[in-house]
Amino acid sequence: MQNVFELVDANKRKSSLVVAGFIVFVALVSWVFAVAYGYDLSFVGIAFIFSGLVSYVSFYNSDKIILSLSGARPADRQKDFNFYTVAQNLSMAARIPMPKLYVIDDTALNAFATGRDPQHAVVVATTGLLTALNRTELEGVVAHEFSHIQNYDIRLMSLVTVMVGMITLLADMFLRMSRFGGRRSRDTDNQLGTLLFVVGIILALLSPFIAGLIKLAISRRREFLADASGAKLTRYPEGLARALEKISADQEPLEAANKATAHLYIANPLKNHHDSIGWFAGMFNTHPPVAERIAALRSR
Amino acid sequence: MQALYIIIGVVIAFAVYAMGVYNLLQTIKTRIKASIQEIGNQLKRQASLIPNLAESVKGYLKHEKGIFDSLTSARKAVEAAAGSNDAGKISKAMDQMSALIPKLQVLVEDNPEIKGDSIVSNLMNELRDTADKLMYARRTLIDLTADFNVKIVTFPSNLVAGIFGFMAEKGLDMPLSGDATSVSLDETKDVKVKL
Repeated sequence: MQNVFELVDANKRKSSLVVAGFIVFVALVSWVFAVAYGYDLSFVGIAFIFSGLVSYVSFYNSDKIILSLSGARPADRQKDFNFYTVAQNLSMAARIPMPKLYVIDDTALNAFATGRDPQHAVVVATTGLLTALNRTELEGVVAHEFSHIQNYDIRLMSLVTVMVGMITLLADMFLRMSRFGGRRSRDTDNQLGTLLFVVGIILALLSPFIAGLIKLAISRRREFLADASGAKLTRYPEGLARALEKISADQEPLEAANKATAHLYIANPLKNHHDSIGWFAGMFNTHPPVAERIAALRSR
Repeated sequence: MQALYIIIGVVIAFAVYAMGVYNLLQTIKTRIKASIQEIGNQLKRQASLIPNLAESVKGYLKHEKGIFDSLTSARKAVEAAAGSNDAGKISKAMDQMSALIPKLQVLVEDNPEIKGDSIVSNLMNELRDTADKLMYARRTLIDLTADFNVKIVTFPSNLVAGIFGFMAEKGLDMPLSGDATSVSLDETKDVKVKL
């Protein structure tokens, strides 16, 4: 069993790995692109610089990017009294600076934490969660998120989110681009052949890479551990257990979540999404079954 | 000659270890002091918050004058204790203050006609929050003291603690005999709530 310090180290190491992997991946793709289309190899250099820049920006701004993706507004002490004060109290207990708090206006019940370290952390909750849970249950959920902050889970998870999002975006863009290109030059068989080859290679490279990224970020143990250390913070596992019951009873998918951000949330936000996104979430099993987590909390 | 090197090596290793333990203990000790100040800080917050809140519901509760008087005296005690940094004094003032919170809550429960009012529900929220804040402030003191005391009594850090004369920290003052640590027959029976 790892202790907390080893866990923090492992998370930091994996974060660097994600960034390095991303840079290498972009360089590789641009190389394939360059060879297939006969571009100069300086194209690879440009892609290299670009990916480095993207990594730099996403390391320092992943929280802001994710916040804007999920459409959250800052929490207010008056309006979100329980959320605000509970976070204040728990940051005192956990001995970390108070994270920034945000609220998503959505009736689905969910919450997540993001940021790069405990000094730059953000905790987000939906209005549905804030109204459905009482103070004790909310305390359990916030303590769970605080554990993710303390363990540096947030750094790894946020980086993965931004990188996956970026790659999906680039891939979509590229596919669309090549489709247009293909239509214009339909008469030249040769060019079409190259095109299909390139698309094939990119797709072949892409899927395992994204899968690997997501696998790095999700781990059943990570959620169980955050539950356990959250319970240690409040000394009341029943609070989180009841909150999880309420969250799992809620059947509504969260509108603002997508496949890049799904693994951030306390409970799978994509449940009952009967499309490709739901299929994706099911395939990776981003969250351990809530019933198991509740049982673990109550067994203490 | 070789034996000498080994001895020197062992001494240096121990010195490095002792330095680490010494710094750790000093750090925790400083944090314990800070956590006691934090309790004082939270008490001060409470002492200035509750009377103000009470003032705003006073209109509803004209007939309950007694509680406002005891509130004023509790507040004075907290003001005096928070400046002293003495854990014992602080915890006494704290008891005086926290004894008032359930009374205030009962007061609100007893007057159902005011319960729905937003000013009153705001008061209840703030009361719950201030009680939580004090609880977590005390929790920090308890946790830090436990960390410190465990280091002092466990091997091999107890050797270093002995050399520098570190003493166990008292932490939160609790009576070690009487009601606090014993269970009476009544308390073992099932609790029945009458409404």
